[in-house]
Amino acid sequence: MAAATAPAPPPPGVRTRARDSAASWPLADRVGLACCWAAGLALALVAAAIVIYMAWKGISQLSPSLLVQHPTGDVDQSKAGGFLDPIEGTLLLTLIGIALAVPIGVATALWLVEYGRPAPLARAVESSVEIIAGAPSVVLALFGLTVFSNTFFSFMSFRPTGADLAYGRSFLIAGIVMSLIALPLVVGATREALLQVPNHVREASLALGKTKAATIRRVLLPTIRPGIATGTTLGMGRIVGDTAIVILLLGNTLLTEPQEGLPGFGLLRGTGSTLTSYVYGNSPAGEGNAPEKAYAAAFVLMVIVIALNALATRLARGRDGGPAWIR
Amino acid sequence: MLRRSTTLAALATVAALALAAPAALAKTTITMSGSTSVAPLVRALAIKYVALHPGKVGFKLQQGGSDIGINDVAHGRVTIGNASRKPQPSDPGGLVFNRIAYDAICVITSTANPLPGLSQAQVQSIFTGRTRSWSQVPGARVHGAIDIFTRTATSGTADAFRAIFLGNTLSVAASAPAKSSNGLVNQSVRTDNNAIGFVSLDFLRGVRAIPYQGVACTLRNAKSGQYQGIRPFSLVTRGAATGAAKAFIGWVQHSAAARAIINTHWIPLG
Amino acid sequence: MPEAALAARLRPARRWSRPERAELWLGALAVALLALIAGMVVFVFRQAWPSFSGNGLSWFLSGGNANTQLADIYHSPADPSHYLYALRAFPILYGTALSTGLAVAIALPFSVLCALFMVEFAPPGIARLMTPTVRFLAAVPSVVYGLIGILVLAPWINTHLVSESFKLDVKPIVPIGGGGLLLATLILTVMIAPIMIAINADALQNVPRSWLEGSAALGVNRWRTMWRIGVRTARPAIAAGVVLATARALGEAIMLAMVSGSFIFSPNPLDGLNFLLEPVQPLAATIVVNSEGLTVKPFGQTLYAFAAVLLVSSMMLSITGWVVRRPLRRQGVR
Repeated sequence: MAAATAPAPPPPGVRTRARDSAASWPLADRVGLACCWAAGLALALVAAAIVIYMAWKGISQLSPSLLVQHPTGDVDQSKAGGFLDPIEGTLLLTLIGIALAVPIGVATALWLVEYGRPAPLARAVESSVEIIAGAPSVVLALFGLTVFSNTFFSFMSFRPTGADLAYGRSFLIAGIVMSLIALPLVVGATREALLQVPNHVREASLALGKTKAATIRRVLLPTIRPGIATGTTLGMGRIVGDTAIVILLLGNTLLTEPQEGLPGFGLLRGTGSTLTSYVYGNSPAGEGNAPEKAYAAAFVLMVIVIALNALATRLARGRDGGPAWIR
Repeated sequence: MLRRSTTLAALATVAALALAAPAALAKTTITMSGSTSVAPLVRALAIKYVALHPGKVGFKLQQGGSDIGINDVAHGRVTIGNASRKPQPSDPGGLVFNRIAYDAICVITSTANPLPGLSQAQVQSIFTGRTRSWSQVPGARVHGAIDIFTRTATSGTADAFRAIFLGNTLSVAASAPAKSSNGLVNQSVRTDNNAIGFVSLDFLRGVRAIPYQGVACTLRNAKSGQYQGIRPFSLVTRGAATGAAKAFIGWVQHSAAARAIINTHWIPLG
Repeated sequence: MPEAALAARLRPARRWSRPERAELWLGALAVALLALIAGMVVFVFRQAWPSFSGNGLSWFLSGGNANTQLADIYHSPADPSHYLYALRAFPILYGTALSTGLAVAIALPFSVLCALFMVEFAPPGIARLMTPTVRFLAAVPSVVYGLIGILVLAPWINTHLVSESFKLDVKPIVPIGGGGLLLATLILTVMIAPIMIAINADALQNVPRSWLEGSAALGVNRWRTMWRIGVRTARPAIAAGVVLATARALGEAIMLAMVSGSFIFSPNPLDGLNFLLEPVQPLAATIVVNSEGLTVKPFGQTLYAFAAVLLVSSMMLSITGWVVRRPLRRQGVR
């Protein structure tokens, strides 16, 4: 028999054997496969239904003028007015919340990973961040309402004439409590990023004579920037979507009403509304007079939140050219 | 080291200025909370007051129901509480009810069910849940169960309704859905053909007001005194009103501009 | 050289090196955060104590109509010695447990199957679409879910699922509308499923490939491989996902305030299918709906009691999550 030449190996990645056909499986396994398909398709259907319905209702009700007009001060929103002030309120609140959450969150994560001693203290700090992560935002809002109604904090809102307590509701106060709910996300993302940096990088920096503080500032922080950005964006998404804190702590005036004083600080001490409280107020759970406006505002809100989450995913994936020694 | 301390000093100055400035330019803010029936009136009055006295006073209006307003002002949480009912023995002490207007409560049904009228006995038996079906009510144009809508416990309108229509002895059925504002009752009745509820005179859009004891529920009948379901609106203060609150309440009670506003949908004093 | 000096030279260096300034500053910030959060927890429990002590253990039992009890607490006389605290909060706790439990029970098999579909059984094109879909569902704010529920689903349920006779029968006790246990559970399921799906899919992808290939080499079909080996290996992650999803469901306030029926009531399973149409009002929704009453001291303390129960539940869930994730850490997954 002539020696047969060995057949050429198939090129990699090309399937050469038949795929296992489900027709040969026992019934129970086929039922399982069918359930998988059903679940997957159900998920896709639900998501598609939400997208299509909100897009249809939202776009049909949304006109560009709504985005730039102020709401009328009326309780009945169905006649005129847009939602410029709620959009402003959302942006302002997100800004305040992130401005507080990012420095504190990054600092906490740095301490936990880089120093973290004594160890019981580090565990306690970790547990407290977990408590905040798990606490419902209503509990935080309730706490904030009671604490900031104290006259000691009246510089953060204002003190009504003839009243014993401070008003306890303003952009600054709501922003402070919002930063608490964004904090765990920032801490978590920063921690993940820090733990990814290999130890030889830190050791090399110390070997070159830099102090640990300088290492953190010059080497680690620039490296974990994508991680911090991811955490920030996730935190922004959470802040934008939260309603309970806004309803309890922002005063719920349809128009942004700054207190007098220095222009910036007066705005911080004033009240206003956000897209979430606007949607809530215009639904049958609030005054309920303008479901069309509620749909339009809900559509804008959804677009903002989805954009933020897409941005967060993009940042988490990172740019392709990271520092070579990280890979 | 020098740079750091000057930075800190600069920050401290800015912070001090920020805190001092508001105290220096302080415009007084009157905060009000309470009745959802009084809210439209007070909002119109506040807008007019600010237009006539610019830069002196600001207003913040919240709602929640008359009881919320009364409790808030008794605990020093707001400047003025808005109440749409008469004082009750269970109210906290030391409060002054400054009456500013009168208002009517109308019994409403959906436009699909224009009842010709209800007597007090009929209203009592419907709202306490004794009469359960529209077929037992003469003149009803719908069939099926009667859907009662009432207000939450903090509502002054609910208290006034109980005092005037139910004779203060009976109570609305405990299982009736309780809505937290006039607007929500209006909306619930508007969208449910079998519904019945009660609202302030200003909230009749899209629903039908039922004549009570033979008298239609209109502003004119309320002003003439024929309509029986009248209750007072008051601005409640802790003790006698002082300062900016006193000026505002005085303006509401005595000025012609305020009276003109009240005359549009409510009944002025005297 | 003196003995003592030589001995000192040979002793090992102190293990605690002096902290540098950066460590002190960062540590101070972290400790300040810890103090703030600990202070918050202590504050909540201190405010909640009078409500618990006023009722004793029967705070957790049932008895009477919780709606009227809350209204009575709000109308307590102003004299502190006459504050009313009487409350039997079981309907609220039961409503919370029911809606959360049912949502997690439905979402668990659904999310495991979805994750299996995403990771293994979906054609490549569909699999690529599933990840953004799951991320999208997780990103939708709760107020939007509540809006869709209250404007679209609640009227549909009211027209098509609620029978007139049932409405009429229970009218003296409880108002039946579109909002209720069914709607609350359904929307909660849609809200928490993406969390579980993401974690499950991640865990299934981290199952060692050689195990799955070995099983295939032995002739086991794909479904049985994934079910017996993949899902079994991913069990700690699935449990961790359940814990996270439960925490999310517990903390949901706004959506439930909009769709759950706004009437504190214990749905009765003996009512058959109508049990699903009865209203509930979970803990977080009760706090949001009653938040304006904070001024009246005993009422505020009752609200804090609800907040304390929520805090304790979320802390217990955190501990459970930590316990459940330990096998994961042993496998090298953080």
